Amino acid sequence: MAELTVDDLHLRYGDTPILNGVALTLERGQVVSLLGPSGSGKTTLLRAVAGLETPYQGTIRVGDQVVFDGARALDVPAERRNLGLVFQSYALWPHKTIFDNVAYGLKLRGHSAADIKTSVTRALEQLSLGHLGQRYPHQLSGGQQQRVALARALVYNPPVILLDEPLSNLDAKLREEARAWLRELIVRLQLSALCVTHDQAEAMAMSDRILLLNGGRIEQQGTPREMYGNPSTLFVADFMGSNNELKGDIVEARDGVATLNGDGFSVTGAARSGAATGVPGVAMIRVERVRIADAPGPNRIAAKLVTSMYIGDRFEHLFEVGKGRLRAYGDSALEAREAFHVELPRDSLWIFRAGS
Amino acid sequence: MLKHLAGLGAALVAASALAQGVPAGYPADYAKVLDAAKKEGKVVIYSALDTKAAQPLIRDFESAFPGIKVEYNDMNSTEMYNRFIAESASGQGGADVMWSSAMDLQVKLVDEGKAMAYASPEASKLPSWAVYKGEAWGTTYEPAVFIYNKRLVAADEVPHDHAAFAKLLESKTAKFKGKVNTYDIEKSGVGFMFVVQDTKYFQGMKDLEKAFGKAEYKVFSSTGNMLEKVSSGEHLLGYNVLGSYALVRAKKDPSLGVVLPKDFTLVLSRVMFIAKQAKNPNAAKVWTDYILSQRGQKMIGGPVELFAVRSDVDAEYTAASLNKELGANAKPIPVSSEIVGYLDPKKRLDFISAWKSEIAAGAAGK
Amino acid sequence: MSTVPAAVAPVAPNTLLARFPRALTILVTASAVLAPLALILYQSFLTAPFFDASKKVGLGAYRFVFADPDFWQAFLNSFTLAVGMTLIAVPLGALLAFVMERTDLPWKRVLEPMILVPSFVSPMVLSFGYVVAAGPVGFYSVWAQDLIGTAPWGIYSIPAMAVIAGLTHVPNVYVYATSALKSLGSDVEEAARTAGASPFRVAATVSLPLIAPALLFSAVLVFFLGFELFGLPLVLGDPEGHLVLSTYLYKLTNKLGVPSYHLMAAVAICIVAVTFPLVLLQRRLLQNARRFATIKGKAGRMKALPLGRWKPLAMALLLAWLFLAVIVPVSGIALRAFVTNWGIGVSLLDAFTLDNFRAVFEEPTHTRAIVNTILIGTIGGAIAVACYTAIGFATHRRNDGWSRFVDYLVLVPRAVPGLLAGLAFLWVFLFVPLLAPLRATLFSMWLAYTVVWLAYGMRLISTSLFQVSTELEEAARTIGASRGRISREITLPLIRHGLLGSWLLVFMIFEREYSTGVYLLAPGNEVIGAELVSLWQGGAIDVVAALSLVNIVLVAIGLAIALRFGVRLRD
Repeated sequence: MAELTVDDLHLRYGDTPILNGVALTLERGQVVSLLGPSGSGKTTLLRAVAGLETPYQGTIRVGDQVVFDGARALDVPAERRNLGLVFQSYALWPHKTIFDNVAYGLKLRGHSAADIKTSVTRALEQLSLGHLGQRYPHQLSGGQQQRVALARALVYNPPVILLDEPLSNLDAKLREEARAWLRELIVRLQLSALCVTHDQAEAMAMSDRILLLNGGRIEQQGTPREMYGNPSTLFVADFMGSNNELKGDIVEARDGVATLNGDGFSVTGAARSGAATGVPGVAMIRVERVRIADAPGPNRIAAKLVTSMYIGDRFEHLFEVGKGRLRAYGDSALEAREAFHVELPRDSLWIFRAGS
Repeated sequence: MLKHLAGLGAALVAASALAQGVPAGYPADYAKVLDAAKKEGKVVIYSALDTKAAQPLIRDFESAFPGIKVEYNDMNSTEMYNRFIAESASGQGGADVMWSSAMDLQVKLVDEGKAMAYASPEASKLPSWAVYKGEAWGTTYEPAVFIYNKRLVAADEVPHDHAAFAKLLESKTAKFKGKVNTYDIEKSGVGFMFVVQDTKYFQGMKDLEKAFGKAEYKVFSSTGNMLEKVSSGEHLLGYNVLGSYALVRAKKDPSLGVVLPKDFTLVLSRVMFIAKQAKNPNAAKVWTDYILSQRGQKMIGGPVELFAVRSDVDAEYTAASLNKELGANAKPIPVSSEIVGYLDPKKRLDFISAWKSEIAAGAAGK
Repeated sequence: MSTVPAAVAPVAPNTLLARFPRALTILVTASAVLAPLALILYQSFLTAPFFDASKKVGLGAYRFVFADPDFWQAFLNSFTLAVGMTLIAVPLGALLAFVMERTDLPWKRVLEPMILVPSFVSPMVLSFGYVVAAGPVGFYSVWAQDLIGTAPWGIYSIPAMAVIAGLTHVPNVYVYATSALKSLGSDVEEAARTAGASPFRVAATVSLPLIAPALLFSAVLVFFLGFELFGLPLVLGDPEGHLVLSTYLYKLTNKLGVPSYHLMAAVAICIVAVTFPLVLLQRRLLQNARRFATIKGKAGRMKALPLGRWKPLAMALLLAWLFLAVIVPVSGIALRAFVTNWGIGVSLLDAFTLDNFRAVFEEPTHTRAIVNTILIGTIGGAIAVACYTAIGFATHRRNDGWSRFVDYLVLVPRAVPGLLAGLAFLWVFLFVPLLAPLRATLFSMWLAYTVVWLAYGMRLISTSLFQVSTELEEAARTIGASRGRISREITLPLIRHGLLGSWLLVFMIFEREYSTGVYLLAPGNEVIGAELVSLWQGGAIDVVAALSLVNIVLVAIGLAIALRFGVRLRD
């Protein structure tokens, strides 16, 4: 039985629709990320699951208990849903010590003082906060505060924890360490987690499954590999990585293969959603898949080098193709030449219908 | 023999009564009243006289009648009236004794049956105009006077009667413009009452009103303000000021001069009555008798610095001494229904608007 | 984490019992606010006091009032005063706020509390101060006459009253303007400065336009206060017979010789008809101003604008205002309290005395007034803040119909002139059997004060409440705390400091309050403010001066104690 089930959820603020029919399931021990640009409704969805926002249609079930059912006007208030929520700003209570912050949930549930002490101490130790129990939030670093917020949400063993942009408040360096550490913690403790993030790298690093939201709807969901390697729509492809894009017209689309003719070039690649003969199309390829060849050939485009930028771990080359631009990575600088031949390997190239 | 015995018996009773604090000359069963009063323990008085001024009276009473505490509340006469009627209507009786200079309001309350009838042993000693139905009594004798600033008003300018007052304002308008004051008859019940009585005795009242208008007179609701302004020199003349305050202040204040008008002087008497719903009726009776007694009147004419109304009292300020100066020109305002007439809203408003139009006519130079 | 079994959600039943505190709070508030108003409304449609057996229902009261030319003159005067003082207070207040908040004027720490002085001192006291200081025979007038032969100012005219009212209401504008200026980043001003604008130019063209919503709110507030003026026109308007709505109402107490409650009620309803829309407007503008401030987001680093050669002028402006609005009246009172009499030709030294103070302290009614005033400010103020907090919690972060109802409910007492509110409470205490024994106690005075200042108190509390981030409360909710627990264990501790600040402000408001107690005054519940009105009417100038000085000292002491304990006057 899934830990969390959301079905056909609709929500609006006043007249503005925010969620337009969202469904998801979360199994035990899974980490699922809600990904999307700002305004896509991902945070609203998380808050709706927590009970802090009220949808007007759909159902939400935690385990086998229905906490929201639009049809029956059932709406269990947030304080009775027994979920854990970690806020983006951590929302630690400044007037309570770390210990009291974490202990509050147990106090509400009527645990004895001895039990509370044991549980809280263990929770703090598990998150490497053991010595900080008597400090106050403002005395802790950002990373420490985040761990306290986690401990507070976990200490009473909720079936699902909800995390709102858990890493966005950390510095870049810390973020990379933290995403590994966070996933490891969740897996080790066999928790079920629903995460909101706007960073696709973070989502892919941490999650078992990703739900990409666009305009209040789930555009695609799947494993990180599926999302990255097999985007079903242009939006998903665009969002999930760094891409090159070429516009043109699809002259042929058949058996999963399409050809796009553009301004002085013609490329062939995998036909994706909506690709059909005679419609405007977009060819898309991940930047790291672009290769620089010596001579013209199939799926190779003659391009002029605009500039090469040294980024430290690689070079990034910028090419001009007709009215468009192409980027490619490389290990070394490129000598200036009349023309370069930029290859977009056929098996890495996707052809979408424009606007899909 | 029997007669002697009776006489002795009476004397004994009287003596024992005296021993218990009953004032001399009172009926013997007054002791019962006294006892009941002491059991009640206090008397609640609503009065328009400042607490400070009344202190000597209160202390003297409490020393004469130990066991009866005076709860003295001073407030202005309108407040008194308002509070009294509200409290009576709600059955929340607060006052035992009402003692106010707003004679008309007091009489009105008596006419409405809110006063307790009481045959005070002292009542016979008061002038007849000061006793009303055996339910209310005039207790003081306060003249309405003119005041002037001694430093700035020349001796020959000082008006000694009402006609002279009007003439002064008429002839020397430039000097007195904006510098003469009197009561605001719309705000001050006492002021209103005075000018109504003036109209009775002074034929040239309309000329006076016009003169007020020409001289841009200033009006106040409080005696203190008027005295202050004339004493400081901001104003030069005051009309119909309550003499008790004026004369007292003039003793300490070298700047203030007081005139008792020679043609007629109105005299106000603070009216006292016992509330029918009084919670301490006996204490109220004892207080009333005290105020009307020689002892109380002596205090009133002495430390309290009002004027005693009884003619058989020897004190600094008495009706007698005033009457000596004024003679037949003293016109006490009677404690009777005739002064209630102008409490009728229409009559009052008509009077006020007639007054105001004379003022306006004077200001316009007609 | 796994030895503790998966916990069950904490029990927080949403039953009637859980909703009881909120329901009770709303019920009590509604009664306390609506009962007096209902009485006044009822009274206005009668022909005699409502407890008078001979009363009848009718429109006679309104007919009388509308036919009275004095009423319309009073209305016009109120309007003129309101407009005049707004035109003076707003620009001056805004300019002072700019100078104090955004420039490098020296001695700010000393000057700022002095700017707020007029808001601590009762208007009765201030007006009285002007009479003894700058009246026709005031101290300064006499000195000016000796020095330069003339004292060319008059304080008893409508223009003069407008100027004085405007000057003394500068703090009202100042508080809101500085609050708004605090949230501006200094970069917009620096840009103007680099382009060559003088500091005053920067103020006029950049900073002040940016805080327009706050200024608009202050303007409406001051205009509204203009209709409420009572003490100032009582003292300064009466000598020349200038009436405003509140003094016209007060005059009606005696106009007919007997109390004309029905007329007074009718006038009060007319006043409410003007002031209530203004109160609603204020509410909308305040929300706008708040929204405007949050849209700007957090202020950037704030660098003070250097005044340079404008420093003397700015300082002169500030000091001039201080002199006219604070020093003149307060010095007048202080002097008058120590002399027996004064006027043309009287030497101050000869007249020096402590008798006035002796008169105050030897008089039980006055000492009682002083004690009561201290009690009502400190303990009464604390209880009032507790009540406001309870009501605040009942409506905080809940947008249902009941919250909106309470929102509008608290605005009602603000629109009723204090005079009539006090009278209505007197009636309530007289005629409601349960409350009757409490009438002559300080409780009745306290209740009237608390209700009259409900809107102000609520605004203070809600400012504090809004500073608690929603997320802190939401975090507690998701962990399982009921609303009641959140209020008690999360929100309340976090607004503690704000509550202390509110207590201080409520203390000062209660100390200077005077009109509400005028009719409620009874032996036993005297307070200084109402006593002053009564004494002024009775002409006991000496005692008024001494008592006023005591009042000022009380407020100063309270303020000093609070500031010493780190309470901040404003956020």
